[in-house]
Amino acid sequence: MRLEKCWFCSSTIYPGHGIQFVRNDAKIFRFCRSKCHKNFKMKRNPRKVKWTKAYRRLHGKDMTQDSTFEFERKRNRPERYDRNLAENTLKAIKKITKVRADRQEKHIANRMKGKKAQERKEAAKELEQSIHLIKAPAALQQEPSLTLPKAKVKVSQQQPEDNRMEE
Amino acid sequence: MASSSTSKLFHVGRSLLGGLHKRAHGLPTSYELTCSDLFSQQLRTFIQMRTNLKVVDNSGAKKVMCIQALKGKKGARLGDTIVASVKEAQPGGKVKKGQVVYGVVVRAAMQRGRCDGSEVKFDDNAVVLINKQGEPIGTRVFGPVPHELRKKKHVKILSLAEHIA
Repeated sequence: MRLEKCWFCSSTIYPGHGIQFVRNDAKIFRFCRSKCHKNFKMKRNPRKVKWTKAYRRLHGKDMTQDSTFEFERKRNRPERYDRNLAENTLKAIKKITKVRADRQEKHIANRMKGKKAQERKEAAKELEQSIHLIKAPAALQQEPSLTLPKAKVKVSQQQPEDNRMEE
Repeated sequence: MASSSTSKLFHVGRSLLGGLHKRAHGLPTSYELTCSDLFSQQLRTFIQMRTNLKVVDNSGAKKVMCIQALKGKKGARLGDTIVASVKEAQPGGKVKKGQVVYGVVVRAAMQRGRCDGSEVKFDDNAVVLINKQGEPIGTRVFGPVPHELRKKKHVKILSLAEHIA
């Protein structure tokens, strides 16, 4: 049993899922779901579609180079079963996924590092440049021309109870 | 009558698309997906009466037309056997034009479920000619063929094939 990667979004395809298209030069395109298959049929480039792994990798959104990715590899020779080895591997899988998640988090944190300072800077600049757009509330109270005049609304005095009685 | 008109429409659509494709090729594309005739509007339906199929062996026939699917009410699918009439043949081949032959559908544009629940589909509709005993007439098979042929007892075709998908 082999877990393949989707050609379009690079997600894992578990057995029994998806569709594969075999081109006449025997290249196999595997798709994890109809969404990816449809996007392929529309001839979209996965590098230009924002939700794919290819885009995220290309634009530095995700961590690309890491030693934890080395474990996931295509091996053409089946391993001879060894109980101890299998046990250790199962233990290691948990640890490796944890390490990878931590590193990914760190990567994203690094990526977002300058964001807050930048936002603050922009806000300060806006405040400085366009303070004239707003007036202080005290100024509004002093000059009535700045506020909207109060419109008078006529309230009907008819009582609905009478109508109901007539009917 | 109706079928002939639809086939005419289909040809027009194909030629239009072909034209579009040529123009697209002029553009500089660094992208892998400049597949030549990836979706040249191959009909993605059952192989039924009057379906034209490509012959992908060296029996001498180039194109055949399905005249009967031997299994299935709606028509033949990937791996099924059909009866076909030879429409185009090379001179000096083993089969002649107009001959009625048997063939196995080795590639179909319509998707077919696999034993694990996933699906597989191909670029075009292609057939390998066989005799009544089920042995291939030609000695070579071109292009990819599905491994499901083993289940249909066409091991000879599988062993002759270049690629197995």
